[in-house]
Amino acid sequence: MSAPTTRRLEFIAVAFIAVLLIVVFPLLNSYGIISNFTLNLWGKYLCYALLAISVDLLWGYTGLLSLGQALFFSLGGYMLGMHLMRMIGDLGQYKKPIPDFLIFLGWTELPTFWKPFSSFPFAAAMVLLLPGLVALVFGFLAFRSRIKGVYFSILTQALTYGGSLMFFRNDLLMGGNNGFTDYKFLLSADVRDASTQRALFIATALTLVLVYLSCSWLSRTKLGLIQRAIRDGENRVLFSGYAAAGFKLFIFVVAALIASVGGALYVPQVGIINPSEMTPDKSLEAVVWVAVGGRGTLVGPVIGAIVVNALKSWATRAYPDLWLFFLGGMFIVVVLLLPGGIVSIPGRLKTWWAHRTAASAETATPVAS
Amino acid sequence: MNFFHRARRLLALAALSLGLVSHAADSARPIIAKAALAETPAQRITLISSLIGSGDESIAPLLAAWKEDALFVFTAPDGTKIPVQLSGDKDNKDAQAAVRIDNGQPLHFVAAGPALRLVASELAAVEHTSALRRAMKAVLDLLDLSTPDLKKRISAIQTLGFAQDAEKLAALQARQKIETAPAAQLALREAIALIGLKDASTDVKLASLKELAALHTIGSADALKAALKDAEAANHPSLAAAARLALNAVDRHLTTVNFFGTLFRGLSLGSILLVVALGLAITFGLMGVINMAHGEMIAVGAYTTYVVQNIFGPGLALSPFGFSFHLPGLNTSGWLYESYFIFALPLSFLSAALVGIAMERTVIQWLYRRPLESLLATWGVSLFLQQFFRRVFGSNNVQVSSPSYLSDNWTFNDIIFGWNRVFVIGFAGLIVLGVWLVLTRTSLGLLIRAVMQNRNMASCMGVRTERVNMLTFGLGSGLAGLAGAFLSQIGNVGPSLGQSYIVDCFMTVVVGGVGNLPGTVVSAFGIGLADQSLQQILLNPVLGKITVLVAIILFLQWRPAGIFVTKSRSLEG
Amino acid sequence: MITQLKKLLTVGALALGASFGTAHAAETVKVGILHSLSGTMAISETSLRDVLLFTFDEINAKGGVLGKKIEPVVVDGASNWPLFAEKAKQLLEQDKVAVTFGCWTSVSRKSVLPVYEKNNGLLFYPVQYEGEEESQNVAYTAEAVNQQATPAVDYYLAEGKKKFYLLGTDYVYPQTTNLVLLEYLLSKGVKLENIGGGFKKDESGKIIAAGKYTPFSHTDYQQIIAEIKQFAASGDACVISTLNGDTNVPFFKEYAAAGLTAEKCPVVSFSISEDEFRGLPAKQLVGQLGCWTYFQSINTPANKKFVADFQAWLKTTKAPGVVKEGRVTCSPMVLSYVGVYLWKAAVEKAGSFDVDKVRAAYKTGLSFDGPGGKVTTQKNMHVTKNVFIGETKADGQFKIVKSFDNVYGEPWLKGKFK
Repeated sequence: MSAPTTRRLEFIAVAFIAVLLIVVFPLLNSYGIISNFTLNLWGKYLCYALLAISVDLLWGYTGLLSLGQALFFSLGGYMLGMHLMRMIGDLGQYKKPIPDFLIFLGWTELPTFWKPFSSFPFAAAMVLLLPGLVALVFGFLAFRSRIKGVYFSILTQALTYGGSLMFFRNDLLMGGNNGFTDYKFLLSADVRDASTQRALFIATALTLVLVYLSCSWLSRTKLGLIQRAIRDGENRVLFSGYAAAGFKLFIFVVAALIASVGGALYVPQVGIINPSEMTPDKSLEAVVWVAVGGRGTLVGPVIGAIVVNALKSWATRAYPDLWLFFLGGMFIVVVLLLPGGIVSIPGRLKTWWAHRTAASAETATPVAS
Repeated sequence: MNFFHRARRLLALAALSLGLVSHAADSARPIIAKAALAETPAQRITLISSLIGSGDESIAPLLAAWKEDALFVFTAPDGTKIPVQLSGDKDNKDAQAAVRIDNGQPLHFVAAGPALRLVASELAAVEHTSALRRAMKAVLDLLDLSTPDLKKRISAIQTLGFAQDAEKLAALQARQKIETAPAAQLALREAIALIGLKDASTDVKLASLKELAALHTIGSADALKAALKDAEAANHPSLAAAARLALNAVDRHLTTVNFFGTLFRGLSLGSILLVVALGLAITFGLMGVINMAHGEMIAVGAYTTYVVQNIFGPGLALSPFGFSFHLPGLNTSGWLYESYFIFALPLSFLSAALVGIAMERTVIQWLYRRPLESLLATWGVSLFLQQFFRRVFGSNNVQVSSPSYLSDNWTFNDIIFGWNRVFVIGFAGLIVLGVWLVLTRTSLGLLIRAVMQNRNMASCMGVRTERVNMLTFGLGSGLAGLAGAFLSQIGNVGPSLGQSYIVDCFMTVVVGGVGNLPGTVVSAFGIGLADQSLQQILLNPVLGKITVLVAIILFLQWRPAGIFVTKSRSLEG
Repeated sequence: MITQLKKLLTVGALALGASFGTAHAAETVKVGILHSLSGTMAISETSLRDVLLFTFDEINAKGGVLGKKIEPVVVDGASNWPLFAEKAKQLLEQDKVAVTFGCWTSVSRKSVLPVYEKNNGLLFYPVQYEGEEESQNVAYTAEAVNQQATPAVDYYLAEGKKKFYLLGTDYVYPQTTNLVLLEYLLSKGVKLENIGGGFKKDESGKIIAAGKYTPFSHTDYQQIIAEIKQFAASGDACVISTLNGDTNVPFFKEYAAAGLTAEKCPVVSFSISEDEFRGLPAKQLVGQLGCWTYFQSINTPANKKFVADFQAWLKTTKAPGVVKEGRVTCSPMVLSYVGVYLWKAAVEKAGSFDVDKVRAAYKTGLSFDGPGGKVTTQKNMHVTKNVFIGETKADGQFKIVKSFDNVYGEPWLKGKFK
């Protein structure tokens, strides 16, 4: 197949899925064929897919394994969460106009930094600004001193860990361990209504499609090329006269923004954000979705996020005692036997079919280390 | 019916003939018996208070029993009331053995007859009011003043001092004359000075303040603060000044104690970090495997300690995955039981090393060229092992009790040196030395270094790199197991034990410089000291930890390769 | 690429198809169990799953509820709070359970609360908590602060304690409990300088937090122990600990190693029950205090029967993942057990499984004679029950030293003791 044909086919497929997610599913839901629960669950998966894409953009395309994406995801969630907390108004347990946890911490008035979050545009802007800023500062420092590979992973892990420790503290006035829950309104719609949830689902699907398309476009630009060049041989990129640090920083910030938007969409759909979403474990989980789906592709992370989470939803109900064995076992198997992830299965099957020899099993899809 | 009365007389005669009564007359028992029968609480208090100064050994258990409602009045058929104590196990009629309070003998109807057993619920317990309990406490406090047990004696002296009750002064001064132990002497001086603070005369107060300034004990701070407040309220500048002087002395002492305490705590935390991170310094630092299951190797060691402890004790029943089996126990006790830890150490090393080798053979050996993927696969192993621990040992933490040689402390000048902490500092030193010897003085060490520096070259030279990899990973995992054995003595043993340490481990290794053992040592102690100092300064354990993390991230901007950089001419370093 | 996308479609369709509703039989009633069976909270919550299954079997053996057998639907919250909300939705919207028994941490309850309110479900919550909440969709069989913390302080005051050190894990339950305790202690005439652990004040100087807090899974208590030792140096001191389950081990090991004992400075812990005790160094805890509305050592025929029945059930049960050895009973377990019976009584009184009717019946003051004595429901969805203070023994049990009968469960305590 020639490149333009592939691209056209890809476009058709994406358009088809987009229509399915944005129009068909919500319609089916409003007619009651797809239950609210299922639609909501899929909304959650799609948010995870955004997180997975952000991981893949760094790991699969640029060779930077960031374990800090959960931090950006949660920061986005927290920013919108603050707005949602303000929108509870005086419907909380204490029937006071400020969030319950502040009253329990002895506050009678809103702390200053909370005040602007009553405005939705401000909160929405902060969803992009704060994680973007954190990524910019951290990325600038890290890439300037040429921290890469394993060190980058461990440092981003420390960043997330530090963030979660900080947010666990009640003194931060961000709800401590309990985080934010019990949301009532978003843009004057009741968050708990099926129609609001449907709208959120559509918004998530739309965002996912947009992010998918932009990333796909990005990977075809020169920037995308340099990105992959950094992955495959950073020193050569440097010696060719490119300031790799700048490119890496750009990608790091973009990835943080994608994760953050995913988090912001996630929070009103699941109804809670708390610091345990920020722990290194969550970042690792997202990395695993990408690995399972297939990194270095854009479909892979989406498939991975959906498959692993659907499995988790099912297994925690069907085999509550054994599902961690499944999960752990799956990672090992994927890493050892299927480095290309699920998306590489068709290709592998094709090669296997063509050669029909045992040796072909060894020629796995090439992957960067 | 008069036979009971007769029985009593007979008993009294029998007792007389044995010469017991004359002894009983001197002892506290009859007084307590009388108090139990007294009409009013006031009479009881007077009688009990009359016991002050007595050193009778029967007082403490009797008064304790009284407080616990175990003293009863038995009314004989003739109306005579006899105070008795019920003790021992209940039989099937809920009856217990009855002992007479006045002479400590079993209660009999007839001298030669069987001892009476009484049911508690059918008798009236001797009552006690809070005032009476206070009187009892006063008696007991003074009782302990002459106990041969030094620790108990000091505690009794301190209790009297802190109460600042002038009535006890005489007893303390009497004791001061005969006390020989220096520690108890100090406590006596403190207690007498504390009581002196409440004295009416200013001179005594001043002298007491001077004495307390000289002693500068931490315990006197509260009393000194109160004295300062009183002096200021009474507008008495010389007293206030003296009180301030004394308080300053205490504060200075506290600063010293906290400084050295922090230093010691930092060293011990550093040693713990070192112990847990040393294995990782080998698997990650030398081999380049990002072993996220390192924490679970620690847990393997800790669970091994648990199993060994149970084998030394009553045995262990486990029912993993539906199978039930029972590990027989040796039922040892005393020092033999406590020696379990000594045996647990090598076994923890072995078991974790075996698990590590199994992991290396099945998973890691395929991933030496893909370090980031080793992270994912080992994380899978980590989840797998955690759930495995849950299925075998249950989700709960398991109980590992520290042997007595690890659960006490030396206190010098108010600085606490816990034996477990002293142990870990020495332990860390030993295993660092051991690892260093293995790496530099043995042929295995030579091979390890060769393979880690250049796997292909070593292979060309005929080194069986596979075997060396396996053994190196086994060594790293075994060290994690040793760490687990020690951690079982200071913390939880549970399925998620390893998770609490994994981030710290990586931090320690990265800060020290990957592939560099001395670096790991320096960074472990650095992080330990920084953490404890910040905790002491910020008075908040979380803030301290966050600050350390931020400091580490910033430090690595400055020195991306850690404290000690392993020199390499390779471009990719 | 095309094949990859096809794959995505098939997976999506399959997952959607699989999650459509399921049919359920008429002769049973579905009851949800929502606890963490994996993750960090599994340590505590697994026991509650076990005791609930035991209770259902016990009730089913006697004919069930309104002639229907209880069909448990067990789901794993996996110590993951968004997953708790998802599972709650699943139980209510898909399985359509009549009632749910579940949650341990405050955050898990807060996470599922909107789901229960939205779907008008009913959740029975069995673990001591901070109060400051009163939902119509939650039946709190749990201990409120005045059924645990304030009785313990009363006990200490009667023992002549003058200095109180407040220590807890940094989350909402310890923070609230300590604030209530601070007010309570001050109202009892304890001086502010005799309350240890530190305070946090707002700009106006009003105290908004009291006590020392450590994060979850904290392992290093050296510095805090040194501070407590200095605090206790002047005698008559005690510690009130709201440390969460697994931090208790390092805390108490360090406590004992520093030479602090129950005689010198006793610790009352609100999070250590017999079940947590299984992982604690019992020898080093002898004499420390616990305060709950149930202890396994309660010496009544009802309790003895309960303990024996539970042990017998453990021997014979075929439920997967139930640990059979070394099991004990504890307050959250008994409150789960009592909750099931109170729900049964409410259902039988209402003659229906309808949540509104059951709730109305529940509020009428139903009583159940449980292992810990009589438990009575209140209008505010809490329960009146007996409170016991126990001293820990080397065998992991508690010796009851004091009991308070029929303590009313009061969720709103802040500002009560001024």
